[in-house]
Amino acid sequence: MSAPFGQLQWLRACYRALPHLGLFALLIAAWEVLVRTGVIASIMVPRPSSIGASIVELYFVKGTIWRHFFITLGEAVGGFLIGAAIAVALAIGSSLWEPFRRYVSPYAVVLNVTPGIALTPIIIAWFGFGMGSKMALAAIISFFPIFVNTLTGLTQPDTEREELFRSLGSSERQVFWMLRVPSALPLMFAGFKIGLTTALIGAVVAEFAQATEGVGVLMSRFSFQLNMGASIATLLSMTLIGLILFYSMEFLDDRTVFWRREERRAAASRNRARAWKRYAKLNSKSGSSI
Amino acid sequence: MPAPAMHGEGRNGVPLRTRRILMHAGIFLTLVLAWEIGARAGYLDPLFYPRPTAIVDSFIRIYITQGNIWRHLYVSLGLVFAGFAAGSILGIVLGSLVGFNALARRFVKPYVLVLEATPRIAVAPLLIAALGFGAQSKIAIIMLVCFFAPFINTLAGVVNVNEEKLELFNSLGASKFQILTKLVLPEAVPVIMAGERLALTASLSGVLVAEFIQRDQGIGSLILIYTRNLNMASAFACIFTLTVVGFLIFKGMEMLDRYIAFWNNETGMARVGAARKARWEN
Repeated sequence: MSAPFGQLQWLRACYRALPHLGLFALLIAAWEVLVRTGVIASIMVPRPSSIGASIVELYFVKGTIWRHFFITLGEAVGGFLIGAAIAVALAIGSSLWEPFRRYVSPYAVVLNVTPGIALTPIIIAWFGFGMGSKMALAAIISFFPIFVNTLTGLTQPDTEREELFRSLGSSERQVFWMLRVPSALPLMFAGFKIGLTTALIGAVVAEFAQATEGVGVLMSRFSFQLNMGASIATLLSMTLIGLILFYSMEFLDDRTVFWRREERRAAASRNRARAWKRYAKLNSKSGSSI
Repeated sequence: MPAPAMHGEGRNGVPLRTRRILMHAGIFLTLVLAWEIGARAGYLDPLFYPRPTAIVDSFIRIYITQGNIWRHLYVSLGLVFAGFAAGSILGIVLGSLVGFNALARRFVKPYVLVLEATPRIAVAPLLIAALGFGAQSKIAIIMLVCFFAPFINTLAGVVNVNEEKLELFNSLGASKFQILTKLVLPEAVPVIMAGERLALTASLSGVLVAEFIQRDQGIGSLILIYTRNLNMASAFACIFTLTVVGFLIFKGMEMLDRYIAFWNNETGMARVGAARKARWEN
């Protein structure tokens, strides 16, 4: 993409964002005025300026939030990885071996209809007050969406392609890796996105129940001190964690399932063309033929 | 596979279905037995991992002899349904309003994205601080938790309305209200119901979190108190109760879905068709 064109696009994006920013500023101003004039009680809804002051204090001046921020982020990601690993392993097992699916799925359904949050006190009793219990809860509640999506993706019938694979004499392993897994990936990533969001919920709820550090602790502490500005500032940090998690998964999705979007597919084929050219050059230099 | 083996006789003349059910029961009993033996032999600490028989004992105690779970269950389910009704109606109304108006859609979208990334349950302590202890803050939490899925799904359903049908409606001179009630909402019903199902599940989690934070009554506080007292068997009995409740809610929503979106299944079509026929004949 050429530079001037890129700049133009950037300008256009700015122009398009203007009314949104205007509306946002208007809303904030109205809110500020309403609280200052006492229409809304400031004990229930803090002034935007006091939220702003808390943000500056928590994030930049004292920087207290960062340690808690990364602890919660780590708990959510760790729990998600554990839950996803178990879910994907069980889903692969179920897709390959039909009796396994038949005898495992009732337990998965039972786990699904039980609200995973209900396990919080028990998980804390089992795994202690530290990060382990938060990860365990995050893993449990992120398990099901990933399991279901992976299993659905791996077992969806695609008879025509499978026939083609078989008629070209591919082995079971090739069918699995080159047909089943690629066609399951979009659904799997949809499951990963849901799972990652629920993992964050699990981590935060476990922190509410019993913990010494993490944004959930910070949040409940500020709320019970009725320091509403600071607790909304903490809430925004959870939003930030959620956005980071969601967009990094979106990025991975885009890179892994590159064939679904036109420009990613073009980029991938450009890379392949380049690799072929290099390969051809290497061969001509060494003088050998393919 | 030969066709008779699918649902006919299996080996030794036992039908396949019965054999499968026996197999399921066998696996389940083996697991429970292993757990019981492990607990009795001292491999599992009974303080943390209660024996299955102890859980059954607790079931009998909290349901029959003490009967103390009924009150808590009643309180929690009342909150769930109150919050769910309020939140999901709000979600559907706002979703169809926003979905209908392209301008509103454009300006609401960034806030929706931000809200979607926030774990909504995390607002619970804030709401309790703002609204005080008691039922109203719990209902507010549940409303917040179950507002979002119906809102998003209604929005999606309204936006993805069938263009051709819309054109037909417009060319026949339908008003906006008629388009909404006769075309858009019926078309969106399956998607909206999917959102409602998510919302009801979420509201069950919402009530538990609310009760974990303010432990006065309800099934969440019961679980918390039993766990604090290391009465794990009773805590497990409460959790299995929630499994049953969750299952009933799931099935109930499925039935409601089939009842409301009657055109998606055979029995529903037959029912409505018979009713219409009866009305015509009178």
